[in-house]
This record gives sequence, C-alpha cells and structure tokens, in this order.
Amino acid sequence: MKPLTAFASKFGAQIALNPEFIVEKAQRYYLLNPQLRKVARADFYYAGLYLGKVKNGVFFPSFNFLNMLAVVAANKVVLDLKAAWLFICGRDLFRRGILKVQGSQRKGDFALVMNEFGECLGFGMIVGGFEAAGNNEVAVQNVLDVGDFLRREG
Amino acid sequence: MSGKEFFINRYRQLGWQFKPVQARQAIRINQSNAKGKNLPERLRGLGVELEKIPFLEFGYWVGKSKVSAGATAEYLLGLYSIQEAAAQIPAALFSNLKNKPALDACAAPGGKTVQLADLMDNRGSIVALDVDRRRLAALTNHLERCHIRCAVVYPLDARRVSGLNLKFERILLDVPCSGNFASDSEWFSRRTLKDVERNAKVQREILAEAVKCLADNGEIVYSTCSLEPEEDEQNIDWAIKNLSLQVQHVDCRGDAGLTDVFGHQLDESIAMCKRIWPAETQGFFVCKLKRKAGQP
Repeated sequence: MKPLTAFASKFGAQIALNPEFIVEKAQRYYLLNPQLRKVARADFYYAGLYLGKVKNGVFFPSFNFLNMLAVVAANKVVLDLKAAWLFICGRDLFRRGILKVQGSQRKGDFALVMNEFGECLGFGMIVGGFEAAGNNEVAVQNVLDVGDFLRREG
Repeated sequence: MSGKEFFINRYRQLGWQFKPVQARQAIRINQSNAKGKNLPERLRGLGVELEKIPFLEFGYWVGKSKVSAGATAEYLLGLYSIQEAAAQIPAALFSNLKNKPALDACAAPGGKTVQLADLMDNRGSIVALDVDRRRLAALTNHLERCHIRCAVVYPLDARRVSGLNLKFERILLDVPCSGNFASDSEWFSRRTLKDVERNAKVQREILAEAVKCLADNGEIVYSTCSLEPEEDEQNIDWAIKNLSLQVQHVDCRGDAGLTDVFGHQLDESIAMCKRIWPAETQGFFVCKLKRKAGQP
C-alpha cells in the first residue's frame, strides 16, 4: 500500500485504496473486486486490476494506476495530437506541444501526460519551464508511455 | 495422410469446395473503455478504413489504412482489440454473462477473455487459464492494456481445472486446435491427420474436465478454428454420448454442423452447431452445450 500512496503523492494526488481488496504478490500490487477476492488463490499469476510493482526499491506504476490518479486531482499536462503521438513513441515533451498545464510546474515533480480526449498516455518528470518563450525546450521528460505495450512484446 | 490434396479432398467429401482465401483483419471495440468516444470516427480520422461487420455487434473490418491498427494510441489505450471476425463469435453466444462466474479455460493471448470481461461490464469474475508462460505474458499484457479488472489468471493446464474446486456458470472452451489454412499459409505442409487426432484427444480431455466444473444450468461454449470434423462435430458427438451434454441452438453466422461425417451418422442435434468455412473470415466451429435435463 505504501509504495502506491507515496507514488501518488509525487503527483500531488491523494488516493484512497481499501486495503481489504489490495493484494501484494511478489512485490506486485493488484486491486481485486469482492467476487475475485473469493476465487483468487495465493498461487495466481495475475489478478484483478494490476497497479504496479516494486523493483530494487522503486515503484513502477501500471497504466491502470496512472488512470486512477488521473481521475483525482493530480499534476497533468495536456498535449496536442502531434505531441501525443511523439510521446507515445518515447519522446520527451517540448513546450510547444503542451496545450494545458494543471497542478505543479516545479522542476523534479511528476506530471501525468494526457491527450486532448482526456486519456492518460503515461507520465513524465517536469524538467523545464512552461513559458511560451521556451517553446523549443524540453519541458517534460518521458518516464513511461503507453507505447511500452508495443516495446514489451517486440 | 497429409498434404494439400488429402485435406482438400476431405473438405470436398464434407460438402465444401476449396478456394484459397485470406481472412480480413478485424477489430472489436471494447465498450467498457470506448463508450461515448466515437471510436470509428477517430480511427477514420487517422486514415483507417473501417467497415461494420454485419454479423457482429462491435466488430469492424479494417480496410486500407495509413497506420498499423496495432500501433495507434487508441489501440494502446485499450479502446479496441484486434480480433479476427469469426473469433469474436464464441464469447457472444452466452446468454447473459453478467454476475455469472466464468471460466476461460484456454485463454491466451486474451482476446476472448477481454471480450468476456467487456460483456460482463468489467465486473464479476473470470478465471483465465493457460499453460504456456510466454503466452501468459501476452495474456496479461492484453488484460492490462484493456484495463480489465475482473479476471484472475492461473498458469494451469485446462485439463486440471477441477483442482481449483470452483463451479462456473459460463465456460468458454476455445480449445487448442490444428488451425486452418486461411490463417496459416503453410498449414497444408505443416499438418497431418495424426496431428488432428492428437489435438482431438486433448480437446476431449478438456471437455471432460470442464464438465466437472460446470454449475447446474451452466453453459459451455466450445470453439475451434479447425475445419477438421474430428476436432469439431465428432468431439461434440462424443461429448453428447459420454458427458451427458446437449447442444443448444445458437443464432450466429455459419452453416449447420455436419451430422454425416465421411459416412458416419452423428447425433442430429449437432446440426445446431455452426461451421464457418473460410471466406471473409478464417474457418471456425462453434457450439453451445448444457447438461442434459436431470443430469448431475
């Protein structure tokens, strides 16, 4: 539980999780619904909504968990179509592709990266300013994007 | 007993004239994720030609496309799955899946598990099994990508499912099979009748094990993408005679199941199964089963 709430706080988000339905297995966290809680034995391979894993002391969120953060107040940047595509391809974000910023603009903080449709594409670390003058500078460094699904199986 | 001529001759005896075909690419919109998002329009905006598949509720053929259907943001966000059209049929044949504990006994790579979850509004429980570790990774990636929250996955052979000590009201048996030439261009040189018979035996074992876990009044949907009657009608005939199952009527695309297979008469109710010879889709066989009335 602690890695999840600690990670959420890096986005300025507070998240309420019912510990009764969170299962940790091999340092991976899953959210189970009441019906699954009844049928999930200890030897499952995967269960319910995968939330993320801890590896070498670092929490790696799942996209499910990022989506949960996106519905509560959190640092967000909203991208135009072209920047959204480049982000999915693993690229960092230049100021010019960012349509909107919500929450913290402090360097070193994390921000969820959203497309124009309000869908979460991943997250990044704020590394530059958001002033229009810095249009050609990297504002957010890509940490994780949904293109990861392709790279995993590639 | 192998080779193109051998199998084509069998198909002729079963009443179908061979013609080389290649199944069209298809997608299925995940309603739980795409509701209200006008996904077809979004995809058309990206240069993807889509055509509604008339016999599927949420399926579209993919025509010419400027982008790969498996590499759009919409795909990566789980708004749709790439799923061959005939393969979208089995999960849709269950009557009311909501609040019914379900089993997907041969689940990887997960297209049908995601479809079941979607039909269940991503609620309730699906136990999904597969035995191959590499395929399990594909399955769980699929579940994560589509934000599925109601499935539990075990690395388990479907022939051992009764060891879970669970009863299921809906059981999907999309069993491992010999496949067909429409989805594998090398099929005729790869397969022999021996392979078919070996697969048919494994399929019967899976059927027998699944029945042990079937709740009273529960439903089994059995499907293969094999055109070989040993894996299709003949297995169902065996299940009727040995597992006290009966075939249920289904309303979907396909010809009536064969009741005369190379001169052997099968149970007449097998005509209610559906056999899809390759055309726009790959070859497929699907059947819905229930326990015979009064059978434990």
